Amino acid sequence: MPGDAIAIDGPLVRLDAEVPRPVTVDPDQDLVRRVGRGDPAAVQALVARKLPRLLALAQRMLNDPVEAEDVAQEALLRAWKQAPRWTPGKARFDTWLHRVALNLCYDRLRRRRERPTALPPEQVDEGPAPDRGLMAADVGRRVDAALAALPDRQREAVILCHHQALTNIEAAAAMDVSVEALESLLSRGRRTLRTALADIRPGAEGA
Amino acid sequence: MERGRFENLAGTWGGDLRRWPEGERAAAERLLQADPAARAVLDEAATLDALLDRSPTPWPSQALRDRVIAAAPRAGAWSLPWSRAGLAFGAGWAAAACAGVMAGLVLTQSLTADLQADAVLYQASLSGVDDEDLL
Repeated sequence: MPGDAIAIDGPLVRLDAEVPRPVTVDPDQDLVRRVGRGDPAAVQALVARKLPRLLALAQRMLNDPVEAEDVAQEALLRAWKQAPRWTPGKARFDTWLHRVALNLCYDRLRRRRERPTALPPEQVDEGPAPDRGLMAADVGRRVDAALAALPDRQREAVILCHHQALTNIEAAAAMDVSVEALESLLSRGRRTLRTALADIRPGAEGA
Repeated sequence: MERGRFENLAGTWGGDLRRWPEGERAAAERLLQADPAARAVLDEAATLDALLDRSPTPWPSQALRDRVIAAAPRAGAWSLPWSRAGLAFGAGWAAAACAGVMAGLVLTQSLTADLQADAVLYQASLSGVDDEDLL
């Protein structure tokens, strides 16, 4: 029905573009308002709350720590500009911030593709050495390599839904796709990861 | 919920029902009660969840935090009322300073002119004495 909204987990999402009808309160709303007024304590609190999330998102999307720092910093600089004129109710601030960071990530991924001579980021998935088991750090590297090898949109869906713990509606909004499209990307991404990591049993590796 | 639907959802959302879409959770719980073997489907999905959790999580450096915080908006922008009051106060002081400088210049010029006139008269009187001597 036109104008109806659905709520699976978190805020309502409009099915058409007419009347915004926020139901749940954005947990960042008050903080953003205070940031917009130049409250230093609110700035500190927002940085503590968002910077680690943005850095983790960008690191897993780009697999490059320097570029990840640049993206996280730029996303928050845009948040500082947006805060004084932030309008509550249109979208969750966290979802908007994810969208900004993802756009910045895609700008960088696009530039990588436009530079064919540039070395690609580390995506080598060597697997375990034949003469030893996997160490804990090796598992992390294997997982990151498997994530990096996924198509961009599948990787994005996995990171948003698993690592960033967004709901299906929030993740779909951040990716600007339907919930059905998000679930399809997520399902395919996880299936590929299961195959790529099938030889590892969590907890079986050494320290 | 059909077993096939349950398996699809586990493959998509993993082994923790709290991550599943809210509208699916109650039906999934009912299926688990009716079919305990379905728990194995969740356990298998949870294996991938545990592996994904092994992806290292970076932590922001202090330098990055400092850069971001330094660029944040600060109270004290021109739009704040107390800033306008401060501007008016500063402008008042500047006007008073200018007035003082002008008054000082006028006074100095007046005094200088008087001193110059005195000096001329003094020199004229000296010249008068000299002239008499010469005569």
